[in-house]
Amino acid sequence: MDRIKVEQLKKYYGPFRGLEEATFSVKEGEIFGFVGPNGAGKTTLIRLLLGLINPTSGQAQIDGYSPWNEAVEIYKEVGYLPSEAFFFPEMKVNDVIAFYRDMRKANQDRVELLCQRFDLDRTKRIRELSFGNRKKLGIVIAMMHEPKLLILDEPTTGLDPLMQQAFLDLLLEERKKGATVFLSSHILSEVEKICDRVALIREGVVSHVYDMKEINLLHQRKISVRPEIQGTLIPGLTPLEKTEEGMSYSYEGEIAPLLAFLAKQQISDITIRESSLEEMFMHFYQKEDPDHV
Amino acid sequence: MFDSVLFALEFRRSQKSLWIWTLAIAATMVMVILLYPMVKDMYSAIPPEYEDFLAAFGGLPNNILEYYATEGAMMLQLFGGMYAAIEGYGAINRDDREKTVETLFTLPRRREQVFATKLLRALTNITIFSLVNYVLSVLSFVILKESIDQGIFLAFNALNLLMYVIIAVLTFSIAGISKATPKNGIAIAVPIVMYILFVFSSMTNNEWLEKLQYLTPFTFADPVVLIKEGGSVEGISLLVYGALSLGLLTLAYFRFQKREFTI
Repeated sequence: MDRIKVEQLKKYYGPFRGLEEATFSVKEGEIFGFVGPNGAGKTTLIRLLLGLINPTSGQAQIDGYSPWNEAVEIYKEVGYLPSEAFFFPEMKVNDVIAFYRDMRKANQDRVELLCQRFDLDRTKRIRELSFGNRKKLGIVIAMMHEPKLLILDEPTTGLDPLMQQAFLDLLLEERKKGATVFLSSHILSEVEKICDRVALIREGVVSHVYDMKEINLLHQRKISVRPEIQGTLIPGLTPLEKTEEGMSYSYEGEIAPLLAFLAKQQISDITIRESSLEEMFMHFYQKEDPDHV
Repeated sequence: MFDSVLFALEFRRSQKSLWIWTLAIAATMVMVILLYPMVKDMYSAIPPEYEDFLAAFGGLPNNILEYYATEGAMMLQLFGGMYAAIEGYGAINRDDREKTVETLFTLPRRREQVFATKLLRALTNITIFSLVNYVLSVLSFVILKESIDQGIFLAFNALNLLMYVIIAVLTFSIAGISKATPKNGIAIAVPIVMYILFVFSSMTNNEWLEKLQYLTPFTFADPVVLIKEGGSVEGISLLVYGALSLGLLTLAYFRFQKREFTI
């Protein structure tokens, strides 16, 4: 069953592009990564999904409800964390939490648990909080009512590595309990760690949706050798760049022919590793637009 | 229709501004009233040639209530009108300004519920502002042992409150209709322009310019007419602004359902 369904969604702010074209769906119980560089249209898409802005054209549904006509039905089941979560600056953290708890009719035990887990100082005023602590508060508020769908915009930005890990662990736990997660990010390592599927957005266009298993199968290998390989390369092996005393290559294909080929070379040193998702996406972006660096 | 949790939050958040405005203006009004015994003697010393000029501002007062109407009430109306405008506009604009729209408007509440709750909260504050000012003014009259026509004073305060409500509804509607913006200068501009129109139409002898009085809600709550001259409520101004505020509020109600939050 699809929890989120987006069809040919477009948003322009006057002459300015917010989102050019998005078509995809998010299945129940999956963690769906939404990846793209800054300004690609990630936040615009999320605001459209939540009915905060109106589309220029196209359709979207969350659990069968329209974000622009039946938003309240969506809000009941959604926990939302904006990329920059702002709260009432003069109020104390504890009072802000109490307000959202009452509005959401959330369980106090769950609130306590989340506050402990994210080590939230509840005595401070919002205006005294750092960006990271505001983010932690945003996470507690987004998750306090145990929503069936989490929409998270750049959720780990500003969190220290320990908190990032705690947050990613929590997302995996929520998925186990049946929650669906829509996660916008430009930090590919976290997408790689937890997502089931990932959509790529660039310049307002959602161009590809990949299953992470499929991506793992597609994974290139990155090979650094010293000195440079002489002669003809085997298919799938592509030179990348010269290093100090050798050369680096990318390789796509079965490992056995590569090993057989390398065994015949006069090599004094070699490193073979899998390309990260980040390197793959950079490769993808460069393939789409050769001028893109 | 209203949400009690949201109301409590909004009410709590507005307390500081409510009491700063209320106590500052109430203290000024109390001071103006308590100065009456001294000012009374000064009036008798004013040369007759100045009386024509003073007539444009209500003329010389014959008792403490007339003194209140000519010297105090206009100040109360201008600053109270500014407070009402800020309350109305700020009820919606504050979330734009503080960028809390994303965390507030994704809560499971209908937009019309949020709209109604915010308006109710703004009107509650304006009522508290008016009540405190009314009570402290009455107490000041009591301290001076001056007897006043309580009926007229109450009627003026009720009409004055109605004027505040209309101003607040106007600026609230403007905020609801317009695009999200962190700026709130327009809120102050509304009552100031209305007040200038009121003063200008009161001072002029030109038949056409006098008609400007119908374009300002200060006319139907004119303290000089109501208290000093014992006149009746100026119906056209009340009707114009009653209809305008209700019309704009209705428009804002529907526009707010589709308002974009892009801050």
